[in-house]
Amino acid sequence: MKNALGREIPKTIGSRSVEAYAGAFAKKRSGFKAPQPQKSSVPGENKVLPSLEAAIEATGLKDGMTISFHHSFREGDRVINQVVDACARMGLKDLRLFPTALFGTHAKLVDHIKSGVVSRIEGSMNGPVGAYISQGGKLREPATLRSHGGRWRAIESGDVAIDVAFIAASQADAYGNANGINGRTPCGPITFCMVDAQYAKKSVVVTNELAPYPAYPLEIQQGWVDYVVVVDEVGDPEQIASGTLEMTKSPARLRIARLAADAVVASPYFKEGLSFQGGAGGVSLAATMYLAEAMEKARIVGGFVMGGGTRIMVEMLHKGLVRTILDGQAFDPIAVASLGVDPAHVIMNPGLYANYDSRGCATYMLDAAFLGATEVDLDFNVNVNTHSDGRLLHGIGGHQDVAAGAKMTVITAPSIRGRLPVILDRVTTVTTPGEVIDVIVTERGLAVNPKRGDLKECFLEAGLPVRDIAELKAEADGLVRPLGKPVFGDEVVAAIEWRDGTVIDVVRKVEGWQ
Amino acid sequence: MPDETMVGSDAKGDCRVSLVPGKSLAIEVATEDPRLFERGIREVVEEALAKLGRIRATLSIADKGSLNYVIAARVEAAVRRAFPEIPAIAPKVRRRPSEKDAPRRSRLYAPGNNPRLLVGIELHGADCVLLDLEDSVPPAEKPAARVLVKHLLGAIDFPNEVWVRINPLSLGGADDVREIILARPHGVALPKAESKDDVVALSRELAKAEQAVGVPLGSTWIMPIVETAKGVLHAEEIAAADPRVTVVAFGAEDFTRDVGARRTLESLLFARSMIVAAAKAAAVQASDTVYADVDDEVGLAAEAKLARDLGFDGKGAIHPAQVPILHAAFTPSEKEMDEARKIVAAAEEAEARGIGAIAIGGKMIDRPVLERARRALRLADRLGGQRASQSIGGDGKEAR
Repeated sequence: MKNALGREIPKTIGSRSVEAYAGAFAKKRSGFKAPQPQKSSVPGENKVLPSLEAAIEATGLKDGMTISFHHSFREGDRVINQVVDACARMGLKDLRLFPTALFGTHAKLVDHIKSGVVSRIEGSMNGPVGAYISQGGKLREPATLRSHGGRWRAIESGDVAIDVAFIAASQADAYGNANGINGRTPCGPITFCMVDAQYAKKSVVVTNELAPYPAYPLEIQQGWVDYVVVVDEVGDPEQIASGTLEMTKSPARLRIARLAADAVVASPYFKEGLSFQGGAGGVSLAATMYLAEAMEKARIVGGFVMGGGTRIMVEMLHKGLVRTILDGQAFDPIAVASLGVDPAHVIMNPGLYANYDSRGCATYMLDAAFLGATEVDLDFNVNVNTHSDGRLLHGIGGHQDVAAGAKMTVITAPSIRGRLPVILDRVTTVTTPGEVIDVIVTERGLAVNPKRGDLKECFLEAGLPVRDIAELKAEADGLVRPLGKPVFGDEVVAAIEWRDGTVIDVVRKVEGWQ
Repeated sequence: MPDETMVGSDAKGDCRVSLVPGKSLAIEVATEDPRLFERGIREVVEEALAKLGRIRATLSIADKGSLNYVIAARVEAAVRRAFPEIPAIAPKVRRRPSEKDAPRRSRLYAPGNNPRLLVGIELHGADCVLLDLEDSVPPAEKPAARVLVKHLLGAIDFPNEVWVRINPLSLGGADDVREIILARPHGVALPKAESKDDVVALSRELAKAEQAVGVPLGSTWIMPIVETAKGVLHAEEIAAADPRVTVVAFGAEDFTRDVGARRTLESLLFARSMIVAAAKAAAVQASDTVYADVDDEVGLAAEAKLARDLGFDGKGAIHPAQVPILHAAFTPSEKEMDEARKIVAAAEEAEARGIGAIAIGGKMIDRPVLERARRALRLADRLGGQRASQSIGGDGKEAR
């Protein structure tokens, strides 16, 4: 069947039946969420177990069950590998992994897939694991990718039932209260797995530092936690700033950042109370910095800035350029440190951030957002999941959630990467539909979604280089085409869920080249 | 002997092409992802070879994300190194016409043999891009750089002016001229101009080259760069040497070295004033030297303001980030514009009434003042809507 974007979607993917994407806000649900486990407690219970094996044993984890993790240590995470290694040692097989995200550090999971310890993955795959499965590495079922808000929704709705949640925490007390803000190796908020802890049949906190009761802030609470295990290492905070957080020096990328900031300045949203999302990635960081400069010059105080917390956001807060930071995960050590001490630097969980099936999303309060793209197309659709050779390389992150919510979503992308054109007739995979994208900024100028004639007028008024997207594409094509093209077979490697649980696109296995 | 046959580099955005003459043509392509890129690269190589004639050789190309025109340039340079008798490719060119008194608030330099820094150089809004074949290119790379600059000039539709800084005529400048004239830059910058003869000699080379390739005679302008003691003392004859001279530029780095000065505002004042006076006496523009500290925006803005106060029309930039700062300094302010409009209006009224003298509020307006007002209005007219796009919040208008 074809979904609302004309993408061919199978009726079933693996063992799930598929509901096709029908529009950014077409799906409407009401009623009740899935039930959470219930268990009475009495005084004097001991939750601390001596080892991961002991905890795995105690939870009753069996072959074929689902285990979940969060990714706030990002590239520095040490818990996922430790837990899956322990499962392998205990002879467990056929596990379904339900992480928020996997990174390069989890490359060794490929061995566990090959040996059958892990047979299914639902979660963002950044790097080697995604590359492996899209090149024919065998999972028992296609992977499912969800946005931050979409994952939360999938748990609450019962789409995904978690058997055991393993929660990495830089500090916890013996009764299960846990956080990522304090301790010797803090990583920032770990609230991604709040919902895992509440809905999983069993929850295990894994920490490297046991603190006196109560460990605070109360990100993860005792009432959701069955066991606590102390290990030598949960993660390396040095590596939370992996790669994407370097400020760019490239003149072309700085120009993109400058134009993106100029676009916000020229928009009607640039006024007292401006709220915006500043993402990771060199261009987004630079755009955030330029926007901060413009706010300072214009004496505008922003409402809130949202995102993975960064040094630049903390500086804005200290300068009085914004009133609040809403922070879902820290992207550098300065943001981590600020979270512990500044009450205006607020921890945000993904449910509050972006759960479509809830009574409100923080992203809906955004005026403007800077987001990246691997590919964009003439319909303003954006792909952040697959490389142009068809490999699955990145998760969705908050891309869909932010784009759907912000009044003005600005995609920043170079028109060419090496010899790869970034603007295509049709993106390889749709992550986020053009319906919720307002502006695409390249080093060659800005393309405005035709439905935003109002913004186009503002940009022209301000003298910004507004271009037709087809013209931008032709200009870049002339410099790098022709280009080889992957030919996809029928076999589905991964489903890309829209934030409401419908399927917006699928990633198919590459069969050949033309 | 890899150095003998190899052109280009392994740097990002470049490719390395080597060529071994043989009995038939063979093309070997190495690239990061052959499935995506090999076919395209092969096509570009074949297209370039077809323009060069029947080549019998094995050509190997190792690509590091190079654009089509970079590949074509590397192929041509490699072929002509192996077969010097093969004539140069004349690219198709889309060059927008300009005028001698077009705004040149910024002249942005880019190193002529470095694709990573050349690609996209047209996108930063500079009034005048200067592709460099001189100081930024090591002697051994000059032939390849000429060819690369030519292909860049052919491939890119520059929104404003594009010039080439050639080498002094005694150091290969004539070869530079013959190559790049095929791609019709607006002009050439002549480094270390020291006398009228230097400019006239270049003008002759340009005339020969223009005639050889059928470019209108005299259409290629000259920007003498004055950067020695001798050049400063001869600024007047340099500026007036030839009708091709459009703008005289100052090069402080070489000048301070030549005279043994330290670079201060005072030590450069004489040279700057000489150049401005010489240029204006010859009715051409004057462009100030570059500011080398890319991170010091405040210092750049201060020096640009000084140059503007002295009468310069623009200034050199060595990084795209410097361009908006220069534009802010050299764009007439709203106040200057208001004054200019009043003066021109008064002059028109006086003319309509047949009155010789022009006065505003009882104050007489001299001819040079009227001319300056007209120039400011023409400049503003040309700049049109482009001012606001150069910096956040349009702060450029208020910078002076």
